[in-house]
Amino acid sequence: MARILVTDDAAFMRMQLKDIVTKLGHEVVGEAENGQVSVEMYQELKPDLVTMDITMPEMNGVDALKEIKKVDPDAKVIMCSAMGQQGMVVEAIQAGAKDFIVKPFTADRINEALSKAL
Amino acid sequence: MTTTTANHQSKVITHLLNGTNTTMKSIIPAEQNISKPQLLTEPPIVEYGVLIGITGDIKGKLMLAGDPAVFSGIGGVMFGMAVEGEMLVSFSGELGNMLAGGISTIVINEGLQTDITAPTVLQGSTKISGYKKAIQLTAGFKNIGELKVMFLLDS
Repeated sequence: MARILVTDDAAFMRMQLKDIVTKLGHEVVGEAENGQVSVEMYQELKPDLVTMDITMPEMNGVDALKEIKKVDPDAKVIMCSAMGQQGMVVEAIQAGAKDFIVKPFTADRINEALSKAL
Repeated sequence: MTTTTANHQSKVITHLLNGTNTTMKSIIPAEQNISKPQLLTEPPIVEYGVLIGITGDIKGKLMLAGDPAVFSGIGGVMFGMAVEGEMLVSFSGELGNMLAGGISTIVINEGLQTDITAPTVLQGSTKISGYKKAIQLTAGFKNIGELKVMFLLDS
């Protein structure tokens, strides 16, 4: 069982992700509504993995990923975004993301990404 | 406006509309019928809707408008659960985000680099202004209802 931090500005998507992740046998230890909060919660909670939306107010997901990687180069972050442009996927992977899930996602796709990353 | 500029703008709009058709069908698992585009001559007035900013090679806004029950019904077919109250507001914004994100992902293949803003949900009668051209599509979903999709372009 992994400890997971969910990051998305939409409460509905956080609820969906929490539901899927919990049913897969993991624990959601925190929910962040933007990139800035996610970076702060990462340092406080030290989760095993972070799911990260990209388009968010305050700080976007790619910038948050880079900040988290500065704090912990071994951090496991999976991007989860409605924007599936190749350039954005490449930027996220180059910044250290373990996977890139395009919304809307399925439980199977989340399971696959978690299994690969953990 | 020169002929070249008009041709370019016409192509951009075609790519946006094609991208909307493709994205709608890929993200919403319901039988659907999307109308022909219509140029709006009057500022739209919405009671419930979602506004997403588009930046980059295309500048403007994407707006979804419809009865909250339609958004709720779409949430039901996408996620297999009733979506109501605060979660409906959150889901509505996310639906706009998924549609705009999907369109953005498709139009880049036509050489149009765009980015989108976080969604703003509109509740209560709102008259929308501050754009150069407005194009509207109506998407009908079987057993759910209709959703209006508007592109409010800055040029």
